[in-house]
Amino acid sequence: MPRFSPQVIDHFTNPRNCGRLPSPDVAAFVGNPVCGDQILLTAHVHDGVITDIAFEAFGCSASLAVASIVTERLRGSPLSDAAVLDQEQVAAWAGGLSPDQRHVAALGADVARRLAENHRDGITDDAPVAAG
Amino acid sequence: MNLAAMVGMPGEALRVPRSEWRAALTDAVRAAFAYHYEKNAFYRAQCGDLSPADVTDYEDLQRIPLLPVGMFKQAGSHVLLTAGLADIDTEIRSTGTGGVPSVARRDALTTTRASIGILGGYRDFFGISKGAGMFLCPSTAEVPEMGMVKVFNLMTAMLDDHRYLVRDYAFDAEEALAYLRRWEGEMTRHIIGPPFIVARFMRFLELESIPLHLDPESMIIMLGGWKQYTGRSISREEFNAKAERYLGVERSRIRDMYGMIESNMLAIECEHYRKHVPPWCYVSIRDITDPAIELAPGKTGGIAILDALNTSYPGFLLSDDVGEVDESDCPCGRTGQTVRFRRRRQGAELGCCAVSIEKYLDSHEIVAECDLAAAPGR
Repeated sequence: MPRFSPQVIDHFTNPRNCGRLPSPDVAAFVGNPVCGDQILLTAHVHDGVITDIAFEAFGCSASLAVASIVTERLRGSPLSDAAVLDQEQVAAWAGGLSPDQRHVAALGADVARRLAENHRDGITDDAPVAAG
Repeated sequence: MNLAAMVGMPGEALRVPRSEWRAALTDAVRAAFAYHYEKNAFYRAQCGDLSPADVTDYEDLQRIPLLPVGMFKQAGSHVLLTAGLADIDTEIRSTGTGGVPSVARRDALTTTRASIGILGGYRDFFGISKGAGMFLCPSTAEVPEMGMVKVFNLMTAMLDDHRYLVRDYAFDAEEALAYLRRWEGEMTRHIIGPPFIVARFMRFLELESIPLHLDPESMIIMLGGWKQYTGRSISREEFNAKAERYLGVERSRIRDMYGMIESNMLAIECEHYRKHVPPWCYVSIRDITDPAIELAPGKTGGIAILDALNTSYPGFLLSDDVGEVDESDCPCGRTGQTVRFRRRRQGAELGCCAVSIEKYLDSHEIVAECDLAAAPGR
């Protein structure tokens, strides 16, 4: 198996929805304090549907690609889909991840669920991500 | 001497006459510049009117455009790659005090060249081919992408036995002591790790009044910098004195190294405390206020590295470090350059693997202390 799936290569090389939305309805941040991978999602939500979504991510290639993949999949979806997203689904969307990349699937699922939780609870995460 | 010979036999390459070193290095860096210029549109766009044909002499190396090392932290860092992601073999990272990781991606050829070159450097500078290594850092299994640990891990190829003594971001000095005693009389014992953990171990020996005397050929080999995340610096002089007193290792066998994960430059200290730039790299010192200006050897400025062996991305980097380069002959007999790190550039975060480990070691100890304080009956 190649180290990176075609989906990861595609999204790493041509990231979709990259950046931060102005005046988002909700923002969610998840970071791994040890390895430093970070994903910030910002989204517009209308009638329970994610109408627009963007990401900022820092870390390994797989984490950048997964952040892009998650935004592409969640755009136009009900927020309830994000609330139940699990890492197996994220890994499948990514076309499979090698064992050393599996933590990235967890990161992608965690940030999607956090987006749904934050919207439900009226919370918007601060955005500690900042390029050096 | 071509690049393959430099990488395969760095000891020989570091001892050729200075004129030969300059010519070989110029050829290698120029070829690397031509490679990236041709294959990397983003980099080519940074070159303006300069083309590989304009780089003919050693004095022209300073004209090669540099990439600020901070770009490796940015979200769009994929544009730096000359190789496609499908060709990337390893991703190495370093996280500093700012928390955003710098990620360096290496293709198979770069990984092979760097591994062989670094191992050759270890053999040349340390001469180790046996013994036991006590690694005062996490294992590669625990932090598989941490640059400093990867570089240390290559050393295990030269040893008969080794242990990593930082686990789950905790360091147990008594366990380290137990291993050193277990190996006593059976193998030459070496200590490898970032200065701050070696210093912690020596502090433990000092507080417990346990002077050790390692073996005549024991070495202390370090990487990771002497500045702690708190901003305090460890004094090299005090460190050496303690190492002699509490570990019985003579000063000439205490060696530090300098490098950064984005580059394949690992400068290794000789017995005269000069850190030798590997033969495939050129270190250029730049004016802090105008990085386009190269400063003469001996002047202090921003450290730029031109690395000839990188095929994954242009290894022509302007770092956030400040220091000097020396091109005078070293009493150890090696030619080429030596580099001295002074400090980080003003405003740059304190960033390296060692700082990251230290920060987490301390945070875990604080959590453990709080747990103890909160335990019932206390």
